[in-house]
Amino acid sequence: MRLKRTLDIDITDWGFGRPVSFEGSTMSECAICTKGLTKHYGKVEALNDLDLDIQKGEVFGFLGPNGAGKTTTIRTMMDEIRATCGTATILGMDSHTDALKLRRSIGYLPGDLALYPKLTGNDTITYYANLRGGVDTSYVKVLAERLGADLTKKVGDLSSGNRQKVGLIQAFMSKPDIIIMDEPSSGLDPLVQRELQKMMREIADEGRTVFLSSHTLSEVQRVADRVGIIRHGRLIALETVQALRAKAVRQVEIELDAPVDVGVFESVEGVTEVRAQNHHVVMTFGGDMGALLRAVEGRYNIVDISTQSADLEEIFLTYYQDETAGA
Amino acid sequence: MLGSVFLKTIRDRWVGWTIAVVAIWLFVWLGLVAYSGLDLSLLDTFPEAYRTLIGLRPGMDAGGLSISAVYGTYGSITFAAMALAMGAASIAGEEHQGTLSLLLANPKSRSHVFISKVLALVLFSAVATLVTWAISASTASMLDIALGDLDLGALSTHMFASTIFYGLLAVAVGAATGRRGAAVGASTGVLVVGFLGAGLLPLIDGGDEWAKLFPWYYFNGSEPLYNGVDWGHVGLLLGASAILAIVGLLGFLRRDLRGQSVGITMVDRLRQNPMTRKLADRLAGSSRVSSIWLKTASEHQIALVSACSYMFFVQLILGPFYTALPRSAMDMLAQLPEGMDVLFAFFGGGDMSTPEGFFQIETFGMMAPIMVMLVTIAVGANAVAGEEAKRTMGLLLANPIKRSRIIVEKAWTMVFYASIVGVVAFAGTVLGSALAELEMSTWNIAATCILLTLLGIVGGALALAIGSGTGRKGAAVWGATGVMVGLHVLNSIGAISDSMSGVSKLSPFYYYLGGDPLNSGLDWGNVLVLVAIAIVLIGVSFPLFQRRDVREKD
Repeated sequence: MRLKRTLDIDITDWGFGRPVSFEGSTMSECAICTKGLTKHYGKVEALNDLDLDIQKGEVFGFLGPNGAGKTTTIRTMMDEIRATCGTATILGMDSHTDALKLRRSIGYLPGDLALYPKLTGNDTITYYANLRGGVDTSYVKVLAERLGADLTKKVGDLSSGNRQKVGLIQAFMSKPDIIIMDEPSSGLDPLVQRELQKMMREIADEGRTVFLSSHTLSEVQRVADRVGIIRHGRLIALETVQALRAKAVRQVEIELDAPVDVGVFESVEGVTEVRAQNHHVVMTFGGDMGALLRAVEGRYNIVDISTQSADLEEIFLTYYQDETAGA
Repeated sequence: MLGSVFLKTIRDRWVGWTIAVVAIWLFVWLGLVAYSGLDLSLLDTFPEAYRTLIGLRPGMDAGGLSISAVYGTYGSITFAAMALAMGAASIAGEEHQGTLSLLLANPKSRSHVFISKVLALVLFSAVATLVTWAISASTASMLDIALGDLDLGALSTHMFASTIFYGLLAVAVGAATGRRGAAVGASTGVLVVGFLGAGLLPLIDGGDEWAKLFPWYYFNGSEPLYNGVDWGHVGLLLGASAILAIVGLLGFLRRDLRGQSVGITMVDRLRQNPMTRKLADRLAGSSRVSSIWLKTASEHQIALVSACSYMFFVQLILGPFYTALPRSAMDMLAQLPEGMDVLFAFFGGGDMSTPEGFFQIETFGMMAPIMVMLVTIAVGANAVAGEEAKRTMGLLLANPIKRSRIIVEKAWTMVFYASIVGVVAFAGTVLGSALAELEMSTWNIAATCILLTLLGIVGGALALAIGSGTGRKGAAVWGATGVMVGLHVLNSIGAISDSMSGVSKLSPFYYYLGGDPLNSGLDWGNVLVLVAIAIVLIGVSFPLFQRRDVREKD
């Protein structure tokens, strides 16, 4: 029950749900940019013609069901695998030809994280820090404290969540311009997940960029500015969280000071299935809340209004379940 | 093939066993072809004592020579190693991988799982020995080589019992402790020490009785190829196997399952103790992870220590052992007719009547290359393919390092480790020679150990190249092992057969001992050839790894 409550909290409750507008952004602010990115394994099309532009200072949520192509996209960006065609440009550099230079600016957390079981957390962090030419150890301590990570134990003796914390620390520790994370919250308890989300927002607020793949909506909903939804290797939606939210279909219940005229509500765009009973009206609504309120204004006084919080979950399911959407 | 634990085990293991059977058949075939060109009638004129000593029989022909050489060494060791690997994987291996707890969550008892695994092991051992017997006999008859009085069936029966024994030893240790490393280590130790003990001790007076302490004695001590099955020996091996199975099962039934914990080592305790923390941290912690090559080095210490201990102690005892050989035997060996040294070609060749030849046949010919390549192939195969199999390559490459740097640093670890084995082999040999006052040339020993090191690097570089090209650790380990064994056989065949002497030069083993370094010192030409091969192999690893996708799984 507690978990459920956590998931239902609206982003505004967290204090970092700020309005974002990307219409005016230019290419110079592009942190990650893919053009026609395609990866085929033999006849299997793991990734098909992916176009993304992720801005600096943005937390970008990359959503999709299992096997949609999220990890393939990330591994291509990291130059682990090479695109069949198309390009990925990160901070203005090609992900393949400039891979070495780029990695100085990228923190990475792979999905299904594997570390060296015989090394302690500290050893692991030191190893990667050495390979990066050294990092600020005091910052590592701060990160470990924030995530509640025990770095003295051997990685092989840690639970998967605690191992994930070691992975997260190494991704954040070099204060990179871009952090790419594949399913970062897997195994983490809700409190640590919340701390991680805070850390991601801080990164974005400093003008740095977070690319986050996930199949859990609640996390992306809370932390991301924009969301890309991928299915069968194709991008099927790319919108701000607000825009998605505006599309969310929700139940609105209004208590008015006079008997309800159903027609007033039916004329508002986005309203369906209006049911009125005396002073009480219930409707399914998927549009701009302002328009709905303006329609009521002047005719009635609102005694009470309640709305089920808009949840990306519903949109997400709509995108996934509707087979024609991606075709 | 997934109907039961038994069938799943069969499915997981049949490829390995099939490859082993085919490899042994190839050896038998090559041996028959190579030895059939020799005029062996000369052997009948040897003194009786000498013929007994080196296992020659009156009227012995190519069939007997090659089959006793192949079955008695390569074949039986290969099958024992297969059974041992399978035995260690059966319970402890599943525990190590974390799959055992899920397996036992099904309505199957521990006894059921244990017995299924043991039955699969027994079945493989039986089928492998039977098939090898059948194809060896038919190959001999196809080549028109009469096996005459040789009792191939008896040798196969002994081989079956011996294979089961080593397999169940590994099963028992693994099942009782849950430690795969302990299972592999203990049973490999018994195998290697037994092979040496049972082979060497009968050479000295009164050593026969001591040889009976080693399980290997009951495989070949009664010479079943000539004397038929010794049911006492076979019974002893099978009885011991049954006891091991019972002990393993009882241990398995009583204990807690292990988690995937990596365990606590001595170094960990030192790092926890405030008194020793600083020093232990410096040794095992910060310096271990200060670079890729040191980190790699820290991962292969067990292989290095095993190979070095073996090389040091065996070389050390071989000196005194040589002097303990009966003088009469030495005199006869000195009279060995010209050209007969080819009998030892499969063991690296050499003149048994001199300490140099003795060392060459006993260690430098076969065991020393095996030991150095145990280390180098492990490092080479794990360099790229191992990181991919463990799925750590992605994160490693997320750091600002080139793919080529990973290869360079890991190749450096391999070279470094091969050199350590070489230096230890050198130290052991020099000490062994000094202890027994054999007056072997220190420089020539050094030359041999330099060539040994280079040969090891060639083997490791091959594993590195295969791993870099494929990203598959199994392909790298077994591909490199297979190719190196094949090249060793090629070199031996070239040494045995005049008509095929040219093929030796295709094998790196030719450039290792072909110049007789223990007697003649270092041939810089041979050094150059081995260095060139290693450079080419490491060199091709760069583009092979550079151009391909990183694999997610092995």
